[in-house]
Amino acid sequence: MNNLLLVRAVAFNAFAENVRNRFFTLFAVFAFTAVYASVLAGVMAVDQEARVLADFGLALIELTALAYSIFGASSALLKEAETKTIYLVFSRPVPRWAYLAGKLSGTLLTAGLMLLIMGAMHLSLLAMRGFGLPPFYAWALAGTFLKLSIIVSFAFFVSLFSTSAVSTLVISSIMWTLGHFASEARYMVERLPGIKGIAFSALLWLIPNLQLFNARDAAGAAAALGPAALFSAAAWVAASFLGALWLLSRKEF
Amino acid sequence: MPGAPSTGSVLRGLGLPLLAWAAAGFASRAYTSPFPPPSEIRVPAAGATGDMLALALGARRLFADLWFIRLMQYYGTREFQESAAEPGHEGHVHSVDEHGHAHCDHGKNYGTGDYPLFLPMARHVLEVDPAFTAAGLYAAASLAFNMQRGEEAQELINYALKYNPREWKYLTMLAAIGYSKARNPVAVAEAIAPILKDPDCPVMLKQLAAFLNKKAGNYAAAAAIYADIAATSRDEAYVKNARRELVKLANMRALAPAPGGVK
Repeated sequence: MNNLLLVRAVAFNAFAENVRNRFFTLFAVFAFTAVYASVLAGVMAVDQEARVLADFGLALIELTALAYSIFGASSALLKEAETKTIYLVFSRPVPRWAYLAGKLSGTLLTAGLMLLIMGAMHLSLLAMRGFGLPPFYAWALAGTFLKLSIIVSFAFFVSLFSTSAVSTLVISSIMWTLGHFASEARYMVERLPGIKGIAFSALLWLIPNLQLFNARDAAGAAAALGPAALFSAAAWVAASFLGALWLLSRKEF
Repeated sequence: MPGAPSTGSVLRGLGLPLLAWAAAGFASRAYTSPFPPPSEIRVPAAGATGDMLALALGARRLFADLWFIRLMQYYGTREFQESAAEPGHEGHVHSVDEHGHAHCDHGKNYGTGDYPLFLPMARHVLEVDPAFTAAGLYAAASLAFNMQRGEEAQELINYALKYNPREWKYLTMLAAIGYSKARNPVAVAEAIAPILKDPDCPVMLKQLAAFLNKKAGNYAAAAAIYADIAATSRDEAYVKNARRELVKLANMRALAPAPGGVK
């Protein structure tokens, strides 16, 4: 119970820090401007305006939340180590897992808040143009959140062995694109002969298939996220979290 | 200061993350992509970057939208008359009879032309997002009914059906294309009638249905479709044309439904 309270305290602290960051406002303003600018593309699509507005908005929301979340995750632990704040935390009876879980939860809470704010802005824009709620909207946002959870936890893992926040950011972004390419990569790997095929096939196990959560791109009932997606997301987050915990436990603070 | 960790402790420490990683990888393998494989994506000139981003960012719908806008711009600008003697008649050529009188028949020559890139561009929209039914219908109808390229329209619909086999609108469109090739406009109008009620129905198809009904003398059905276009379309050109046609039809005082009229 005490440990859970500790996780909550660290999470709220990380959340408050993230929200107070001036970059948060900057990202929110950028997202609003970009989503608003998508009205132009919608008008060009004439009778498909609703679809275009929904697609542009959801894509921009996801990319903005991704950028801020990876930025936050890459720098969270490094900044605390540089400012020595982490020594203060670990001089108290705070288990490392609780600290890490709190930091991760705080970053995910921020990502969730960003999605909610930008989603509300987007929906009001759609309403202003005379369109209702797209049928797959909630699933699309849920899928985006799952993708963000996976990549944010991966960024925490990478930040514990990378040399700078920038390298964490780059590695996480590469993982993001690889994750979306996973299906295409698997298609190509299945056609590779011999040892090359086996080697690349093994490598594919290390990449999360983000298309599994990409409800934004699916249509109709296909947009619903099934148990496989939820289990997969939980397993990826757990894997990255446990990997990060293992690295953190080997560090001397 | 702690000593160097033993291999056993390293393996124990890494065991759980690796187990979770394997479980995650296993769960991911259950996913089968509903999209065409990369080998099927035939990229038109200057489209490779967009396609790469579409796949890398998981934004197929977004890039299919962009390709669709490009397709409409391509179809809407080239071979389009800049000016006309009468305002509102820019989109088509007026026919001239043997007495030298010009005749306007809205819809008759609308959208005709060569547009050699139309099929590859339309197919590309569906390669990126095969679930974009409105784009498939729009492109197939343009090919079959405006450009008289029924074979290409069928090729496009057959490709769309490969990834969307349960889409009844494509099957209906195939039937309509068949009637069109058999030069049976009334049957075409009847075949596409169910699609007109669908929110995904392209306004161009509604316009075609109204035109065919008008030609067949089914004025009530034509008026109903024009009224629907005027009320629901966001395309000003179609809305203006629909209003104009409604006035014409009202003036003809022939709004009583003809036998076999299509709604």
